[in-house]
Amino acid sequence: MFSLSISPSVSGSVAFLSPSVAPLIDVIVISVIVGFLMVIVFRYTSDQKAIRRAKDRLKANLLAVRLFQDQLSVVLRSYVRILRATGGYLRLAFTPFLIVSIPILFLIVQLDRYLGWMPVEAHRAFLLEAQLDNSANLDGIVLQLPPELVSTAPAVHVPAENMIAWRVVANREGRYKVAIVADGQASSKQVVVSGGVSRISPVRLRGTFWARMFESGESALAPSGPIRSISINYPSREITFLGGQWNWIALFFVLSLVAGFFFKTVFGIQI
Amino acid sequence: MKWNRSYKRNATALLFLIMLLVLFPVRSEAYAGPGAGFAVLSSFWTLFLAFLYSLYALVTWPLRHVLRLLRRRTSKGKSQVKRVVVVGFDGMDPELASRFMDEGKLPHFAQLRSMGAFSRLATTFPAISPVAWSTFQTGVNPGKHNIYDFLGRDLRSYLPFLSSAEITGPKRHLRIGKYSLPLGKPIIRGMRRGTPFWHLLAKAGVPCSVIRVPVTFPPEKFSGVLLSGMCVPDLKGSQGTFCLCSTRSAGDKFREGGVRVPIERNGAKFYSYIPGPEDPLGTGKELRANFAIRTDSEDGSARIEMNGEKITLRVGEYSDWKSVKFKSGLGFGARGICRFYLKSISPELEIYVTPVNIDPGRPDLPVSHPVTYSIYLAKLLGSYATLGLAEDTWALNEQVLDDDAFLAQCYSNHEDRERMFFDALEKTPQGFCACVFDTTDRVQHMFWRYLDGDHPAARDLTRNQRPEIIQDLYRRMDALIGRVIEQIDKDSLLLVISDHGFKSFARCVNLNAWLHQNGYLALKEGKSESGDWFEDVDWSRTRAYTMGLNGLYLNLRGRERHGIVSPGAEGQSLKDELRTKLTGLTDPQSGTASITGVFDCDGIYRGPYLDNAPDLIVGYGGGYRASWDSVMGKVTANIFEDNLKAWSGDHCVDPRLVPGVLFSNQKIAADRPQIADVAPTLLKLFGLDLPSYLDGRPWTVSSRAA
Repeated sequence: MFSLSISPSVSGSVAFLSPSVAPLIDVIVISVIVGFLMVIVFRYTSDQKAIRRAKDRLKANLLAVRLFQDQLSVVLRSYVRILRATGGYLRLAFTPFLIVSIPILFLIVQLDRYLGWMPVEAHRAFLLEAQLDNSANLDGIVLQLPPELVSTAPAVHVPAENMIAWRVVANREGRYKVAIVADGQASSKQVVVSGGVSRISPVRLRGTFWARMFESGESALAPSGPIRSISINYPSREITFLGGQWNWIALFFVLSLVAGFFFKTVFGIQI
Repeated sequence: MKWNRSYKRNATALLFLIMLLVLFPVRSEAYAGPGAGFAVLSSFWTLFLAFLYSLYALVTWPLRHVLRLLRRRTSKGKSQVKRVVVVGFDGMDPELASRFMDEGKLPHFAQLRSMGAFSRLATTFPAISPVAWSTFQTGVNPGKHNIYDFLGRDLRSYLPFLSSAEITGPKRHLRIGKYSLPLGKPIIRGMRRGTPFWHLLAKAGVPCSVIRVPVTFPPEKFSGVLLSGMCVPDLKGSQGTFCLCSTRSAGDKFREGGVRVPIERNGAKFYSYIPGPEDPLGTGKELRANFAIRTDSEDGSARIEMNGEKITLRVGEYSDWKSVKFKSGLGFGARGICRFYLKSISPELEIYVTPVNIDPGRPDLPVSHPVTYSIYLAKLLGSYATLGLAEDTWALNEQVLDDDAFLAQCYSNHEDRERMFFDALEKTPQGFCACVFDTTDRVQHMFWRYLDGDHPAARDLTRNQRPEIIQDLYRRMDALIGRVIEQIDKDSLLLVISDHGFKSFARCVNLNAWLHQNGYLALKEGKSESGDWFEDVDWSRTRAYTMGLNGLYLNLRGRERHGIVSPGAEGQSLKDELRTKLTGLTDPQSGTASITGVFDCDGIYRGPYLDNAPDLIVGYGGGYRASWDSVMGKVTANIFEDNLKAWSGDHCVDPRLVPGVLFSNQKIAADRPQIADVAPTLLKLFGLDLPSYLDGRPWTVSSRAA
């Protein structure tokens, strides 16, 4: 649906790195850039003085709990004020947070095409599934593959779910199109076979604009056709970092936070 | 309406976001961007900390409560009060208070007078704030608390030192090339002796909040909260050094209290700096904080740029407190706060900068106990003045500030202190809460000239031209007392006290000049006057000298380095001689007595620190005080001169002439109450046994609290 005008530039620049390291570098660089941009945007879309005051009030009441801990009524009153000050702080942070979040939301969706999934590997089987409107059409469906792709098993029909699935193997790396013909109408789906980072659309949909924007990276299927969706079970990507396996978004979340805290301190920005 | 619009906008945006997330819940974690992370983490972290603190406070409260009860078991049953609130007005004068009450100008003080008590409160010898407030807090005479004046004297060099605290650099340094790295923090030693009564109260489990009582620096450890007051130094270690940045070619050096700094022009911009403390790396250089200025003549404003912050000021306007960083090498430096005041932009650009105060939010030296208390107040109320003498009287004396600018500074500080005090009042629903407001002292010092019909510093003004600044001051304090009365319950005892009263300071007496002319102090051959701090004094022929405000010293053999007067009979005889000659010393201009009493310290003090006391305390008559030169150990040709400075009222006179005030919301029975009585009275009210060393006597308070 949407694609970034630049392919993951970092991947290109670190092509000499092993395929398992390149996505980590991508995530780190993107996180730092996003963390930086985010604090700058936050700076200019927020009431910095009011945020500072709200945070100071919070800290003051926290200290009050500590300083006057023998006075139970003071502690309880301070705790109420902490809750009130937290509400005030969240209210102040809400607008800039909203302004920052929406572009980041779309950015994440786009980056997820590159970093969320791994392409299928050559000589390794993958599943191609088609979802139809009704099960009556299942028997007449034909799969048309390019010469580099081979179906390794007969199609599996799942009438209860109006679904048909094929096991397919690619002989060579590349970007291919497979076609599924139903009721005389052909619908295609892109298949990416690669060992690196590529833009991947795991599903092609007939659905609405918003559904396709968030899920699919391809144009819509014909609305009048019998096929509702075509999907490929690309493996999701796990990134190794600090000895653990990370979903890229979780890693992005942590690293962009760290970068944001760093830049906010450097530029003296209240968040 | 504005809030409503904002609320609607936020609500719409929130609805949109929620719809987005609900309608398109694909890989939901994708929506948790770092923006959300900051907001959630910050608030979560705070709430988490608050929860932990509160949990700790709640869970341990019963245990702590039991411990507190155990500590109070000896006093609780005997305690007559739930809470005592002491409001100190430094220098509030009973005569003026009576006059204004009788004129109906102070309704709340009058209310206290009619429902509770009002009387004069005898002050200390001498009637100087650090002395009197030290007696207030310890309940003992100066011979036991060791504070006799703002200044003490070095017996070897005859030079002055600050009597209340001594600050020295760290003991150990690491030498690296030209640098000498300090290993450790500066050492602060409090010189006031004795035990403040709130230490005893806190030890007995009485909650205590003490705000800006003089001579509480360095803050001492006890189980309560305390913010230090008078005697807290500025970042340079002085009692307040202001700075006048100016494009004007250098004028006269300020006598005391300030420095001139040039403003250099470069193109459309001007550049100047704030002088800071000495380089902690031992290079001997003074650290500086640079700033740039752009002026706008049409707008009558200037924009100051410092530390990446831009401050726009109109002529006659103060900035808020601003953080100042003084950078040294190797990451060392100092940090403080100051305010800018734009005096003029044309024909000369002049900016007054307050003394650089210790930043209460990030104190380089502790100004409170616990140290987090000053931070708490800074977070709650914003930055505030920490300097002991925060009202810049020197700047007004030197005409760097005018009356309005000085008053604006005074009342701005006062409002901060009111907020601190009312917060302390709220945080101390039972126990002891005290705050000393020193605006009363500073304003009376500087504006008595408008009250005194014939003051030399305001002779050119007719009666109608004299603003009623002091009357306005008393009205403000009355309004403050009104709010205190509203806030406290009937079980709280309210005491309003002052450490001394006030008198006009119209004529200066240079006692060193008198000593010189009467053969007690000798100058070096060929000299008829001396410079500051006895520069040209011949100590081998000097028998007596004076420095500071009221102390007169014998040059005693075995005590002073060049002492020539034998202790014992000779010393006593000289003291008697001086007392006789000085008492009733007549001002030839007016024919009145400039000195009404000279007091032998052996007779008025007792205690282990008597050796540090002056030998005699000089009690000046109303309208007189030690001259500015005499205070600084200078010998001049004339003994008497007019006081032409704005500093026109004073209390460093015969202590019998300047008692303080005592107001209360409850009846007090006391025979000639004195400031030393406050400590034993409060200890008794809270049911504590009185230590035997106390000099004061407890009053009988007809408490309505059981």
